[in-house]
Amino acid sequence: MLLDAYKKMFLIRIAEEQLADYYLKNKIMSLVHFYVGQEAIAVGVCDALHKNDRVMGNHRSHGHYLAKGGDLKKMVCELFGKECGSSHGKGGSMHMIDTSVNFIGSTPILSSAVPLSCGSALEQKYHKSDMITVVFLGDGAFEEGGVYESLNLSTLFKLPLLIVLENNLRSIDTRLWERRSSAHDTKKIVTGFGVQYVKADGNDYLDVVGKVRKLIPEVREGKPALIECMTYRHMAHSGPTFEEETREEDTIEQRKENDSVLKIRQKILDSGITEEEVIAVENNIKKTVTNAIVFAKRAPFPKKESLYTDLYV
Amino acid sequence: MSNRIITYTEAIKEATDQIMDVDHNVVVMGLEVSYKNGADGTTAGLKKKYPHRIIETPQSENAVTGMAVGAAITGLHPIVHHGRVEFALFAADQIFTQAAKWNYMFGGGHPVPVVFRINIGRQWGQGPQHTQALYSLFGNALGIKVVIPSTPSMAKGLLISAVRDKNPVVILEPRWLFSLKQNVSIESYDKPLDKAVVVNEGADVTIVAYGDGLIAAHEALELIGDDVGVDLIDLVSINPIDYETVYKSVKKTGRIITIDTTNHAFSVGSDIISNVAQQKLLHLKNIPISISCPDVPVPTSTILTESYYPTKVDIANTVLRQLGKPTIKHDLTFEEIHTSPNYIIK
Ligand SMILES: Cc1ncc(C[n+]2csc(CCOP(=O)(O)OP(=O)(O)O)c2C)c(N)n1
Repeated sequence: MLLDAYKKMFLIRIAEEQLADYYLKNKIMSLVHFYVGQEAIAVGVCDALHKNDRVMGNHRSHGHYLAKGGDLKKMVCELFGKECGSSHGKGGSMHMIDTSVNFIGSTPILSSAVPLSCGSALEQKYHKSDMITVVFLGDGAFEEGGVYESLNLSTLFKLPLLIVLENNLRSIDTRLWERRSSAHDTKKIVTGFGVQYVKADGNDYLDVVGKVRKLIPEVREGKPALIECMTYRHMAHSGPTFEEETREEDTIEQRKENDSVLKIRQKILDSGITEEEVIAVENNIKKTVTNAIVFAKRAPFPKKESLYTDLYV
Repeated sequence: MSNRIITYTEAIKEATDQIMDVDHNVVVMGLEVSYKNGADGTTAGLKKKYPHRIIETPQSENAVTGMAVGAAITGLHPIVHHGRVEFALFAADQIFTQAAKWNYMFGGGHPVPVVFRINIGRQWGQGPQHTQALYSLFGNALGIKVVIPSTPSMAKGLLISAVRDKNPVVILEPRWLFSLKQNVSIESYDKPLDKAVVVNEGADVTIVAYGDGLIAAHEALELIGDDVGVDLIDLVSINPIDYETVYKSVKKTGRIITIDTTNHAFSVGSDIISNVAQQKLLHLKNIPISISCPDVPVPTSTILTESYYPTKVDIANTVLRQLGKPTIKHDLTFEEIHTSPNYIIK
């Protein structure tokens, strides 16, 4: 079980690291936001879901997409602007989608996915489905008015909606305390709308998956919930590199000490699986990622005419 | 009076600094304005100099813009920065319905001296939701003044005029031009908000352009050579449009080409051509031509954006065709197509 979770988290970590490396060395013209550091949240949440539950994401959604089971090759192809990308090169990194696994889309316009996910949940309720919709958003996006309007809608219409608030303390480089008064209380705001609120350690897979599992039965009944997961973003806001001096509440020491991927790896070793076995698993995943990148590199670009397709269905 | 070469973004920063220095009611608010590199450089260093007047805001475009409009009504001169036009759309009510109508709906005497600096348009790798060039939306809205600085020197002068104006002024700043350099006066100066500028004189054809389209037209002049005289007009304002300057030029040349770096429908170019067509005395010698982008959103993959925006070659050949001259063949490099201009413009 834990090993399965580790595989998913390691896949996200290594895919992001290899892609970051590739971005630094090559001219890849698609704006990227890497997910490194936050893996426990995407995997913890998605592991608690039914495969028919739906997920929506934001500008930093490689991890959400992969955790839901999105196709790795299609993702890398999309980043490289190739025809076999999940959006055939039209979207790029900020527009992840794989409807075959119910990852129904992501948008970089902050908070816009929240009302959209209300709509998905409304559809689920309307058609008496037992499935729920999950939307990921950051602490920055949580300051948009549309979020509060959606919180109200979600309880008013009893929507099967789970909002996952990934609090990495930063919106680009602006820290939480620069954007909110010291009296700001997320829990009170959320529960004030009648939405359930739970806080989790976003650097701990078991904490996230456990708390989401506990929440979900009620969400399925139409009691919307928000889980706030505290975490750290390891890379820059956009692209891999940044100045370490800008970090205060999330220094490299803190990030390392709280690294969810390392934590779960240690747990696996403690459970009796040998280091060699873990390394073999890791090497396999690394190979899968390398292969995906090689595949994407060689894959054909879209035909020029496809610029004109898809405006309408 | 000394000049030196600075970038488009440095020109904006310098104008902001100079106007803040003399007008103590000017405050700047938005995302990233307090950063070391201040909103792509446009406010770099200003937080240090004006700690209480450079206001970093939460991601709350609607409320922040409304706060600026409210403060403008009551005595401040806010400059609001939106990093992309899509983010400003969250504040559409405050811009188009509140700020733009305030003075009119209360029968005059109710100024709203607010400046909205909105980054717009083309940038590599940004795709359909970060590169919309919604110029016509702003051109169509009554009650705001809307300018588009196409060069560093215009960026500086227009911002200073915008802050001095008593009306809501939208400055649409094409991101594509942020690295463009120019010899710009170090002194504070202003440029009229409602006057188009003839940046190149010629007798054969008029080109009306703005933003990155104007820069592409500039580059096209070199390809065209001296055989054909181009009257190149920097439109500057799209709300209102300075038709006097346009008509005067077309009267001389009898030919008009417009350039939009967005799709044609309801575009600035189509509006200008429509108005030119309704003028009896212009005696066109050829049909007016609108150069614009295809009727699809901007995709992300470079292979798809390769042919999206009009290039200097497209513009040069349109001019040559208007005069029945042979067109030219010129291959553009990947850099020329996909990366923004960072040279020194005259
Ligand atoms: C409406 C809107 N405003 C501004 C932006 C620019 N922007 C993109 S990501 C970002 C920071 C978002 O921070 P957060 O929501 O905490 O997510 P994180 O990047 O930390 O994952 C900003 C300001 C945007 N994409 N959309």
